[in-house]
Amino acid sequence: MYRMARYIELFFLIFTSVQSLSQGQSWWLLGLKSHVFQTWSKVGIIGPSIQSLCNQLEGLSQGQTKLCHLYQDHMYPISTGAKSGIEECQYQFSERRWNCSTVDGQSVFGNVMTIASREKAFTYAISAAGVVNAISRACREGELANCGCSRALRPTDLNRDWLWGGCGDNVDYGYRFTKEFVDMKENERIPPKASAEHGIMKMNLHNNEAGRKAVLSMADVMCKCHGVSGSCSMKTCWLQLANFRDVGNELKERYDGAAEIRRNRRGEIKLVDSRFNNPTAFDLVYLDPSPDYCIYDPSTGSLGTVGRLCNKTSMGMDGCNLMCCGRGYNTFQQEVVERCHCKFHWCCYVKCKRCKKIVDMHICK
Amino acid sequence: MAGAVLENLSTRKLIALCVVLLLFQAAFFMLGGIIAPSPTTAYPHLTNKCVDTGKHRHKQQWFIPWGEFACEKIVDLEDAIEQEIVANQIVFSIEIPNRPNKMSRWFQYILTVMDITIAYHNENPLGPDPVITMEISLGYRNEGDAPGDWKELIKTTEERKLECTFDRPLIPESNDYTYHCDPMPFMELGSCHHDYYLINIRVPVHEHKDINLDLGKLQDIHIIEIHQNGGFTKVWFALKTFVTPLIIMMTIWFWRRVCALNRQSVLMERTILALGISLIILDLPIEWLTLSVDIPFMLLISDIRQGIFYSMLLSFWIIFAGEHLMDQTERNRLSVYWTQVTAIVFGCTCLFVFDMCERGVQLSNPFYSIWITDTGKNLAMAFIIVAGICASLYFMFLCYMVYRVFRNISVKKTALPAMAKARQLHYQGLIYRFKFFMFFTLLCAAMTVIFFIITQVNEGRWKWGEEHTVEVNSAFFTGVYGMWNIYVFAVLSLYAPSHKDPRKYESTVQNGDVSGSSNEEYELRRTLTDSAATEEPSELYRMTGKTAQD
Repeated sequence: MYRMARYIELFFLIFTSVQSLSQGQSWWLLGLKSHVFQTWSKVGIIGPSIQSLCNQLEGLSQGQTKLCHLYQDHMYPISTGAKSGIEECQYQFSERRWNCSTVDGQSVFGNVMTIASREKAFTYAISAAGVVNAISRACREGELANCGCSRALRPTDLNRDWLWGGCGDNVDYGYRFTKEFVDMKENERIPPKASAEHGIMKMNLHNNEAGRKAVLSMADVMCKCHGVSGSCSMKTCWLQLANFRDVGNELKERYDGAAEIRRNRRGEIKLVDSRFNNPTAFDLVYLDPSPDYCIYDPSTGSLGTVGRLCNKTSMGMDGCNLMCCGRGYNTFQQEVVERCHCKFHWCCYVKCKRCKKIVDMHICK
Repeated sequence: MAGAVLENLSTRKLIALCVVLLLFQAAFFMLGGIIAPSPTTAYPHLTNKCVDTGKHRHKQQWFIPWGEFACEKIVDLEDAIEQEIVANQIVFSIEIPNRPNKMSRWFQYILTVMDITIAYHNENPLGPDPVITMEISLGYRNEGDAPGDWKELIKTTEERKLECTFDRPLIPESNDYTYHCDPMPFMELGSCHHDYYLINIRVPVHEHKDINLDLGKLQDIHIIEIHQNGGFTKVWFALKTFVTPLIIMMTIWFWRRVCALNRQSVLMERTILALGISLIILDLPIEWLTLSVDIPFMLLISDIRQGIFYSMLLSFWIIFAGEHLMDQTERNRLSVYWTQVTAIVFGCTCLFVFDMCERGVQLSNPFYSIWITDTGKNLAMAFIIVAGICASLYFMFLCYMVYRVFRNISVKKTALPAMAKARQLHYQGLIYRFKFFMFFTLLCAAMTVIFFIITQVNEGRWKWGEEHTVEVNSAFFTGVYGMWNIYVFAVLSLYAPSHKDPRKYESTVQNGDVSGSSNEEYELRRTLTDSAATEEPSELYRMTGKTAQD
C-alpha cells in the first residue's frame, strides 16, 4: 500500500514536469529535475509502471529512452551527474562574462548552445565528466544492481564472473556506461558527411570524450600490500576518483587552451592553424568563435553583463573593466548577514553566531 | 653403490630430465598467466550515510544500506545541517558485497582499507595529529536467513591516526577542496565463511573527552574490500593438490634409497629429507577444509608453513655449500653450521613474532593492526629490521661459502693434469655437475627476484590485443611456487644415493672417447674400487677424503 502511494506520487511528479518537447532539448534537463529521481530511486524495486515513466522523461533522445528502460536505476545517478556538471560549470565560470547560467525551458543553457563555441565544448565535457563521476560513485554505494563485473556492458552471467575474477573497476564501468548514454544522442542520426551538422556531431563526440577522459585520467591508483608478514609479495590496486572540483579545474584549463577546428570536404575535422599539434583525446575542440557576451542577445543566447557583480580591484575577467565591457559600474553599500564564529563537528555546525557586515558592491551598468 | 644419482646419470638422461622439468615449469607459468584470473580483487565501496532516528534504542540495531530494511539515508552530509541531524546520529554503513552478488568461501579472506575524504573549511580545518575514533560493528548473514537477520561478529571501538596533506593555501578560497589522506588499514578477516557482511561505523563526538573534535569537514568514508579471487583459489588448490602426492612419493623414494644403504645417513641426506618434508607441509592442500569449516587462522597457518619451508631452504643451501667445501675439515654435523642456522632461526622467529602480533591478534579483533599505534609501528619496524639484518648476514655467509667452494674447485682443477686419466675425468665431471647445480639454484633465485620486480613495477596485467590478457601476478605466484617444487623435486631425485654398481661400467671408461667435455654418451664412473669407499655417501665426499690424503 505504501509502495503504491509512492508510485502515484511519482506519476504526479513526472506528469507535472512534462512540457512540450522542443528541438533544443537535452538530457542535461535531468540535472535540473534530479529531485524527481530521488523519489524514483526510493521506490526500490522497479515495476512495470516505471517502464512507461522513461517515455515521459523530458530531454531524452529515443536511444536514451531505451537505455532508461534497461537501466532504470542508472537514471538517478545520471541526473545527479548532470546536476553536478552544471554546478561545477557555474562555479568555474562565476567570474566570467558567460557564467554558465541556466534558463527556463528545454535547452538548459539556452541559445548559447546553438553556436559551436568553446562554451558549448566545455558544457558537453563537464556534464559527461559529471555523469562518469556519479555512475562510478553510485556503483560504489551499491545503488546500481549490476555494475563493473563483466567486460561487456550488460553482464549476462554476473555471479559466475564475480566468483571467478571479481568485479573491480567501477570507474571504468562509469566511463563505458557514460560513453553509451551520452554519445547516444549524437550517434542516433548521423548527418551527411558534408553537412555542418556532421562537424558539430564530431565536435560534441570529441568533447564528451575529453570530459570522460578527464575523470579517468585524474583518478588515483592506490595500492595495498598484503603478502606474508605484510610484505609486498601480494599487492592489490584500485582507482580512487579525484575530487570533482579538481576535474572541473582541469577541464577549465582545457577550455582556456581549446583548439579551433574546421571541417574539411571529406567530413573530417582538422585544426584551423596547422602549426599546432593535433588535439589529443583530452583536449577540447570548437568550431566557431564565441560571442563576447557583453550585451543581451537572444539569438546567441547571451544574457549580457548588465547587473552583474564585479570586482573593482581585479585585473582579471571578474574585474569591473572587463566584466562590464567598458560601460562602467554602479557602487552601493549593502548589509550582509552571515553565519560566523561557528562551532563545527565533522559533519555539522553546532552553534553559530550571526554577524552583520557592510560591504561595497559594484554592479555593471 | 654409493654415488648420488646426479653423478651416475648419463648426460642424455640428465638433459631429458631437465627438459621435462622445464616443460612443467612452463606449464606452471601458463597456468597462472592464462587460466587463472588476477590473484585478488579490490572493490571500492562508498559508505552510505544512514541516520539513526533513535527509534530502536532498546536493542542492537543494524543500519542496512539498501533492501527491505534499508535505513534512512542522506546523500550528502551538507544536507545534515538543514535537516538538523547531528554527527552522533550518522552511521556509515556498507554491505559487502554489493548487490546482487554474494561472497563465497573460495575467496579465502577479506581485507579492507579505509580511505577518508575530508574537505577543507577555513573555520573548521583538520587539527594537528588528528585521530579518528570509530565505533564499529561487523555483522554477517547467510543466504536463506531472513533479510534483516544480521548476526554480530564483533563490536569494537577503534582509533586511527589520519595522515593528510593539503596542497593549497589555507584561505577561504580553498574551501571544499579535499585533503590527501593516506588509506588506512581497517579490517582483516582470515576467513570468508559467510555470504554477506555488514559494517556499521559511527564517528561519535564527545566534547568533554575531546574525541573526534578536529576532524575537519568529513565528507565520505570509502571502504576498499580486497579478497582472493575464486578462480585463482581454484587454480591454486588444483596446483597444490597436483604437486603434493608427487613430492610425497619422491621424498619416500629418496629416504628408502638412503635406508637401503648399509650405513648411517649423513647430514646432507637428512637435510634433504627435512627439505622434502617442509615442502610437503607447505604443499598439503589443507585449505580445502575452509570450504566447509570456518578456519579464521588459515592465513596464519599459511604464513607459518611458508616460513618453515623458506627457513629450511636457506639452511639447505648453507649445508649444501658447506658439505661441498673440498677442504680437510670434517663436517657432517649440524653444530658446525650453528652461526648460519642461528641467523636463519633468529630471523624467522622475528618474523613469526611479528606475524603473531599482527595476524594472531586479528583472530580476536579483525580491526586491529600493529601499524596504527606509534609503539606498535616501531616494534613492527624493529622486528622487520632485525629480520633484515639476519637475512643480509645469512647471505654474506652463503656468498662467502660459495666463493670458497669455487676457489677450492679451481685449486683442484690446477691439480688435475697430474692425476690419472680416469680420476681426472671423474673430478671434471663432478665439478661440472656441482656447478650445474649451483647454476640451477641461482637461476631459481634470480627468476624469483626478477618476477617479483616485474610484478611490482607492472600494473599486473599485460594486454595482447583487445581480448587476451596475461595475468602477470598470477603467473608469478603459480610459476614461482611451481619452480620451488621442481627445485626440491630435482634435489630429491638427483641427490638420492644411486643403485648403479660402478664396477659394471669400468670398461666404458677405458673404451670411451674421453677428450674433455665433448663426451655425449659418457657415463661418469667411480674409478676407485677400494671397499672402504662404498661407505661414502657421495662422490664429492670421496673427493674431499682423497684430497685429505693428497
